[in-house]
Amino acid sequence: MPHNTAPHASRCTQGVTGATVGPGAAAIRLEVNGIVRALAVLPSETLAEVLRERLALTGTKIACDRGACSSCTVWVDGAPVCSCMVLAIEVDGHRVTSIEGLAGEALHPVQSAFIEHDAIQCGFCTPGLVMSCVALLESHPHPTEEEVKAAIGGHLCRCGTYPHVIAAVLDVARKGKRSP
Amino acid sequence: MSAGTRTQLQPVGIAGVSLGQAERPVGAEEAPALAPNAQLSCIGRSAPRINGHAKVTGSATYTVDVTLPGMLHARILRSPHPHARILSLDTGAAEREPGVRAVHVIEHPIGRAIEIAGPGEAGPARRQLRYVGDPIAAVAAVTAHAAQAALERIRIEYQPLPFVIDIEAARQSDAPPVFDRPVRTEVFGGPAAQLPQHGNVHGPDTSASRGDAAAALSAAEILIEGEFHTQVQTHCCLEPHALLADWRDEGLTVYMSTQFTAGIRAELATALGLPLSRVRVVVDAMGGGFGSKSRIGNDVLAAVALSRKAHAPVRLVLDRHEEQIDSGNRPATVQHIRAGARRDGTLTAVAIEAYGTAGVALGAGVGNFAQSIYDCPNFSLAQSDVFIHAGPGCAMRAPGNVPGAFAYEQIIDELAERLALDPLELRERIDSSPVRREERRIGAERFRWSRRLAPGGGQGALKRGLGMAQSHWPALVHTNCACEVRILRDGSVEVRSSVQDIGTGVGTVLAQVVAEELGLSPGDIVVRIGDTDFPAGPPSYGSRTTASLTPPARNAACLALRKLIAAIAPTLGTTPEGLTLRNGRISSSDGLHSIGFREAAGRLRTEQIGAVASRCDDYGGFGHRMGDFAFARNGLGGVQFAEVTVDTETGRVRVERVLAVHDCGRPINPRQIESQVHGGILQGISYALFEQRILDAPTGHMLNPNLEQYRILRSRETPAIEVHVLENYQGTSATDAYGIAEPSIIATAPAIANAVYNAIGVRVRTLPMTPAVILEALGRLPHRS
Amino acid sequence: MDAFEWMSPQDIEQAARAATTTVAAAMVRDSGEPAAGDALLKAGGIDLLDLMKEGLLKPRRLIHLRNIAGLDRIEGAEGGLRIGPNVTLSQLASHAEVRMRFRALAQAAGASASPQIRHLATLGGNLLQRPRCWYLRSRAHHCTRKGGDRCFAFGGENQYHAIFDHKGCAIVHPSTCATALIAFGARLEITGPRGARRAPSVEEFLLLPEADLHRENTLEPGEIVTAIVLPAPAQATRSLHIKQCETESFDWPLADVAVVLDLESGVCRKAAVVLGAAAPAPHRARAAEAALTGKRIEEPVIRVAARAALQGAAPLAKNGYKLPIFETLLRRALLAATEG
Ligand SMILES: Cc1cc2nc3c(=O)[nH]c(=O)nc-3n(C[C@H](O)[C@H](O)[C@H](O)COP(=O)(O)OP(=O)(O)OC[C@H]3O[C@@H](n4cnc5c(N)ncnc54)[C@H](O)[C@@H]3O)c2cc1C
Ligand code: FES
Ligand code: FES
Repeated sequence: MPHNTAPHASRCTQGVTGATVGPGAAAIRLEVNGIVRALAVLPSETLAEVLRERLALTGTKIACDRGACSSCTVWVDGAPVCSCMVLAIEVDGHRVTSIEGLAGEALHPVQSAFIEHDAIQCGFCTPGLVMSCVALLESHPHPTEEEVKAAIGGHLCRCGTYPHVIAAVLDVARKGKRSP
Repeated sequence: MSAGTRTQLQPVGIAGVSLGQAERPVGAEEAPALAPNAQLSCIGRSAPRINGHAKVTGSATYTVDVTLPGMLHARILRSPHPHARILSLDTGAAEREPGVRAVHVIEHPIGRAIEIAGPGEAGPARRQLRYVGDPIAAVAAVTAHAAQAALERIRIEYQPLPFVIDIEAARQSDAPPVFDRPVRTEVFGGPAAQLPQHGNVHGPDTSASRGDAAAALSAAEILIEGEFHTQVQTHCCLEPHALLADWRDEGLTVYMSTQFTAGIRAELATALGLPLSRVRVVVDAMGGGFGSKSRIGNDVLAAVALSRKAHAPVRLVLDRHEEQIDSGNRPATVQHIRAGARRDGTLTAVAIEAYGTAGVALGAGVGNFAQSIYDCPNFSLAQSDVFIHAGPGCAMRAPGNVPGAFAYEQIIDELAERLALDPLELRERIDSSPVRREERRIGAERFRWSRRLAPGGGQGALKRGLGMAQSHWPALVHTNCACEVRILRDGSVEVRSSVQDIGTGVGTVLAQVVAEELGLSPGDIVVRIGDTDFPAGPPSYGSRTTASLTPPARNAACLALRKLIAAIAPTLGTTPEGLTLRNGRISSSDGLHSIGFREAAGRLRTEQIGAVASRCDDYGGFGHRMGDFAFARNGLGGVQFAEVTVDTETGRVRVERVLAVHDCGRPINPRQIESQVHGGILQGISYALFEQRILDAPTGHMLNPNLEQYRILRSRETPAIEVHVLENYQGTSATDAYGIAEPSIIATAPAIANAVYNAIGVRVRTLPMTPAVILEALGRLPHRS
Repeated sequence: MDAFEWMSPQDIEQAARAATTTVAAAMVRDSGEPAAGDALLKAGGIDLLDLMKEGLLKPRRLIHLRNIAGLDRIEGAEGGLRIGPNVTLSQLASHAEVRMRFRALAQAAGASASPQIRHLATLGGNLLQRPRCWYLRSRAHHCTRKGGDRCFAFGGENQYHAIFDHKGCAIVHPSTCATALIAFGARLEITGPRGARRAPSVEEFLLLPEADLHRENTLEPGEIVTAIVLPAPAQATRSLHIKQCETESFDWPLADVAVVLDLESGVCRKAAVVLGAAAPAPHRARAAEAALTGKRIEEPVIRVAARAALQGAAPLAKNGYKLPIFETLLRRALLAATEG
């Protein structure tokens, strides 16, 4: 239930608690898209940077690097957060889901609906939007249009895909498809 | 009729209204006339985006995602002063920083107005910095962090100079000049007439004037006058400007987030003295441009220079702050308009005095909107650029026409009111476009325009208003534009062009056009684009991509098919003449010979055959031509209706609904067109209500160089939008398709402004229409002590 | 961001000992670059990382508070609620009891920033974040709050600045939650470096520029906010928080108001009226409170109170528009609060 869970509430970090590490690399363990990764990261590296640069998961996009556009949305313990404003070291021991972890063999119904409704233009904002829309439907399977708008209120889509994004999400909700 | 041409009956007219046929002269190699969409199976259908899967799964590769082994990272040092001279610059310490591989000093910046050196003058000896963010030098290092740290080691002695960032202040004769000498004027890559330049005022350009507006104005029965102010809007592409330059002995490869691979290649070749054949520009997925990624900039040249020096690929990605202050913007304008009319509404004279500022660049004109949308015998336009110490403007979605329409369509609305005419009725009288007439008719009906009340007529604090405005944009065609279609032996098909998909879905459109011609489905076509190794395609700007590229794509497919038929006819024991493709089979008219497309391809003697076609002139010719592109005979229209509510106690304007009726020739992919129109409308609303670069007058710094305090429309400001697109056949090319991206933004801000007027009965002539502006217009601001 | 060390203490004492200074103090300097070498507290990090990315802070070490057990709970306390500083804005906004009994706070938290930020941002951090003033946030402007000699908002772009109490500096307090917290009479529990404790009300905790130009609150180095305590509201309390932004989706308020009314069959026994984005600290509109107290809350009374709330307002050159907005918001909030 991503909308009600604080990303950090559930588990304590291993390894770094109490001790001081850095400024050089420190060891952390992240569960990324179901795979546990042991990584050495600088305390100053954001989760977005680590996903993109160390794990080559470039589906997570950085457009403002300040929490103001939500392009970098991933889930930490199921809750959507802007990964540009989270340090990788602070999610040590937590579960991270990025856009690459959403689809299995088949696309997630939200992804299919994005294609069907052409909720994509340049697509740079799309992975983040998909992550928010899926999270919304996980916690609110039948959102109203206003709820969809509120759930994606932090996203900036400069191309203007909002009408099609909203239609896609409402369509998935109506058809009651929630997972691949 | 000249040799090699024939005449052909083409569908002409608006589907459902006036569809008929007309004879057109066409070149010998042209594909046969294409039937109206209703009779086609791929064109006119909403095929899903071919790169949709990649985009929704995050696997699409944008320039920011490209890496190369041994890649370095570059950062740019920028001026902290709005105006300063560099007295000394020492890069020694930066070069010795750990991890630094190359330092490049920008001596001759581009992308702005350039001073003409006087005779015998080598140009100013010392680099002058003219805005906060003016690039000075660039460093390439093993990490972006190391590059950034090294920038701080570049030692510079600045001599700060007086500066001006306010357009009114800059016009004064005693204002600090941005340029000390006249600047070169360039329009669309070619020199234009040299204009006067006094202080910071460059112009006026009066070349668009006709008739005698002054005389006609003084004789006018009705006179309408108004002054309009529009703000600077920044592009805010979500993907920042980014490139990866890889200089090697054998040539230069640049991966770049660009709207025009072929143009960038040409610019780089010229700038670096390289043959075109040694420069390659590549872009796969591209995260938005809106005009700002059309040309090379200082960032591009710096990254290339660094790569050359460091013998390694160099990646340069601007951060959001840099994007906001130095990647272009839509210039601010001040427009003073006087319009004269007869009592029946006929426009007799229009005089526009406009000045605008594109910072240190030229190009703040208000476009050709007023000049071309309505007939008016006496028209005078005097537009000047005013230089200020701010980042250079550049083209942004429908440049000129967006601020131009905001002002002019309000003047027309005022004229209608003065004449006690419905704004639609006035346009019936002054707008000669039959296409817009139909658009108004459809729009008025679906929008239920008749429920519109008198201005300020609603009850209560929340007032509702309806408004409309019209769009006009030239239909542009890039004639330096080619496309290749290949049929491979296994029956697979490739379409190849250097054209880039910046989010418009041009790749999908190409697949549809080629599939239609070859009797396949769009999913069967492999689209290879975004690479100058393919035939040079058009830019993705000026709403010209589809218009330019789909005709050669269709012609190339047609030629490739003819080659296939010629190649396999002997294997069927017949001659090519009688063979045509029908229902996926190549068959003779007598029905004796028939073979499936794939099977036919399997009979090729070579692995593949193909054909390259380039864009020929529109059937019947162009309006006029400018180098590599041309203006089609007819422009593009569009009419938009807006419904707003204005909270007269808080000044908040909400756009509740927008209805847009547009034309783009033959629509190829209706849903993608709808996406484009949504984008235009939403950017238009955002321009009308929220966006604004805020510069700090005492320091010259932009105060909101981010995506937070630079406010942009998002989901909850998105109204209900309905889009109707006409099928407007003109019989002018092999596909008869034109563009939509720019026409769709032009009418939005004036439609909203007219709706706001209708709601509150007070005209708002300033953008953006923030609560502060609305409350002031309503006289609700407290008197200050 | 520049490299830094990372420490994730398990208890409050360890954290308090490790912190060398406050963020506000670390940003005060003579000129030029921020001082390096500080050890600073971090909760959600939304504000801290922002300041670091902008080059306004260069800490040597971050002390991560999020792994200290027990700071992320919301629990009953003497009829009210005791909220841990690490509780996120999204937890707060969706907490059933907060929504029921402290509606204005749930509304303020739930309407701040974006869902993505609300999942990260903590209530403690929200209260202690630095102002959003673009001069404070600009490296190019050495303003009073950073140890400079002027407030650039005067004579500058002050459309989003204060209309009250802007002597020497015209920031508005950034915390939307604080508007509601003050209206509910919330107190803080603060633990100092050597275990010293104090419990100021939020109202006392937040400072105006006339008291201190360099900080927005009385937090001292090594002090940690360990709880935000909401006293028990009276039985018939009605509360509401509303705001107006330029964009609704995601924006800082131009104006926000929180009202907490203790109503006894339509008559107001006690009222708290607080204006946010109005002053360097949330502005308690005492004249409005007085206009409501003892009255039946009906349209004419509401009008008088809304007008009274703006007593003493001194708008700057570009923010006079805030006055009609505040008056309207307050009128609407009072009306809506009494209606349900
Ligand atoms: C784009 C954007 C929009 C926003 N919109 C809004 C809005 O509308 N309304 C609003 O109120 N906020 C808004 N915010 C601000 C955001 O809510 C705050 O930055 C956030 O709440 C800070 O919480 P944090 O836990 O991340 O704090 P941190 O950044 O971790 O800390 C902030 C400060 O508090 C100190 N600190 C934290 N916890 C403690 C403690 N327990 N004891 C002592 N000191 C402590 C830190 O040292 C630091 O100085 C917005 C932010 C962004 C980026
Ligand atoms: S990149 Fe993280 S919110 Fe914009
Ligand atoms: S699709 Fe381009 S930014 Fe959203």
